[in-house]
Amino acid sequence: MSVKVEVIEGGVPHNKIMIAGLVSTLVCIYLTYLNAFTNTEMFSFFGGLAVVSALIWGSHTIKVLCSYGIGTGVPSAGMIAFGSGVIAMLLATKFGMLAPIVALVLAAVIGFILGYVSNNILNMKIPAMVQALTEMAVVGALTVMGFAALITGGFSFVGLTTSKAVFMGLPMTSYGNSFLGGGLIAVAFLLGAIAIQHPFNACLGPGWKQDRMLMLTAECGFLSMIVAAVMSFALISAGSAIISLIIALIGWFYTYSQYFVLSKRDAAAWLDSKPIPDTEGH
Amino acid sequence: MEQIVFGIGITALTGALATVAGSAEDTESNIGSQGDPNSQVQLAPQMGFLHRIFNKAVAGEPPAYGLWCALGAGLAWAFMAMQINAILAIVLGCVLAVFVQGVYATTAYLGRTASLAKFGQPVYVDIIKSMTTVTMAHAFIAIFCTVALCQLINGALGHPFPLPLLALIWGIALGAAGSATGNPYYGKERQYQNQKFGAGVPISASGNIVRYAEAGERNSIDNGFFTHKIGGSASGICFGLIVFLELWRTILFEKIYAGWGAIAVGVLLILIFTVIDRYIEVWARKNYGPYTAAKEAES
Repeated sequence: MSVKVEVIEGGVPHNKIMIAGLVSTLVCIYLTYLNAFTNTEMFSFFGGLAVVSALIWGSHTIKVLCSYGIGTGVPSAGMIAFGSGVIAMLLATKFGMLAPIVALVLAAVIGFILGYVSNNILNMKIPAMVQALTEMAVVGALTVMGFAALITGGFSFVGLTTSKAVFMGLPMTSYGNSFLGGGLIAVAFLLGAIAIQHPFNACLGPGWKQDRMLMLTAECGFLSMIVAAVMSFALISAGSAIISLIIALIGWFYTYSQYFVLSKRDAAAWLDSKPIPDTEGH
Repeated sequence: MEQIVFGIGITALTGALATVAGSAEDTESNIGSQGDPNSQVQLAPQMGFLHRIFNKAVAGEPPAYGLWCALGAGLAWAFMAMQINAILAIVLGCVLAVFVQGVYATTAYLGRTASLAKFGQPVYVDIIKSMTTVTMAHAFIAIFCTVALCQLINGALGHPFPLPLLALIWGIALGAAGSATGNPYYGKERQYQNQKFGAGVPISASGNIVRYAEAGERNSIDNGFFTHKIGGSASGICFGLIVFLELWRTILFEKIYAGWGAIAVGVLLILIFTVIDRYIEVWARKNYGPYTAAKEAES
């Protein structure tokens, strides 16, 4: 999944990115239900693609919010996105087929409340705050859901808390060897939280370019997908995990090389072993 | 009794691992100008001071190390679930986590530098090649030691938390220890060696970081070499003490009043350290502080 954005003044409007991100994330998450219909785990990689598209939307939301100078570092925005999103995601996993929609609605409610509290009670008075925190909570919830689908093949509450293993010839149910019980949700949380804030944090400055930042987001998403796919070897079949890993590697390689191209385009100069250029007065 | 002796042995081992981790973490973050000193490296070209310092702003150190350690532990957990030997699993997990760290470091440097194009700051390819690999090596030591100590806490001491969650907590603690202890030494002293000792960063000197070395132009490996001597060691002692004392009080006093004994000892330790810190601060101000000089000037 690549992000082809033409460089125009201000770039693609935020609402367009939001709608595209929301729709593609939901479609990708629902496509992981192909696992249940076909009784395989081959379609887990759609969870990873959902992560990438949700992160692209989320990193642009962070750009909109942090352009105001919110008084804390950019990384804090990633933490609050996932902190509020993970609650909604966990509760939503109880709702079967409706889980992604429930996660979306619940996260939006939590994010709206947080935005209201920051703006009106803590008096931060930042115009984009309520909408941005609402969006980021949704992004957080859907990203963790995507990671869950990628690593375990689904996101039902039972599937996330138990795993079946054969021990000395007897089928055993294990709670410790699962997405929640093994603490993999903590890894998913931080993988997403760093990946969502890094692109704007890395590309901020007077020369910020939208296409470069979004390409970096896609790169961060695919990079997270690579390691999540490696972790998925423990919980889903090896063949399915290899499919996710190959897709992640191809996506990462493409976006990483494109990011280099875009950085070369925007940089003042691209030097190898050269001294500091002379500037006037210093 | 035997159990307590075993526990103290494990505690000593985790403390030693933590000391190495803290030292490597601080050196890694200083080579990458991560955390507190980062703002001055970012600001310098805007004030006209172009430089050859590596600038990898991934996040603050605590969240960044929270991710690297949790990731290393999550991967190690997954490899162990695949019946791979624990030591090999931890090494493999940490290698992959370091790969992620290295990729993040390169993208951070490229992004920040490309966004400063207006001020003429070039991207140095040799900086990416030489600094990233050095930070990756240090990060591997830090992550491996932290994940290994978490595995000891989980496996040998029987902590109920799963490995990735423990690594998340101790990773954040590691980043916080390095950030609070070692960074001021780099950010306030090394970057401003041309200012009066202990003067902090005067606004008029903002961005005017030291850019030239004893020979040639200063790069971040010079900074890592310099700060490792005191900043890295101090961070190592800080994180080592945190891990050692935390486990020591739990193992020795957990049985007293159903756990309240360990909590009381923890509060006592905090009080003792507060007194020590206050004493050192007052002593340092008296001996080195520009504070007295500033007061004389006012009066």
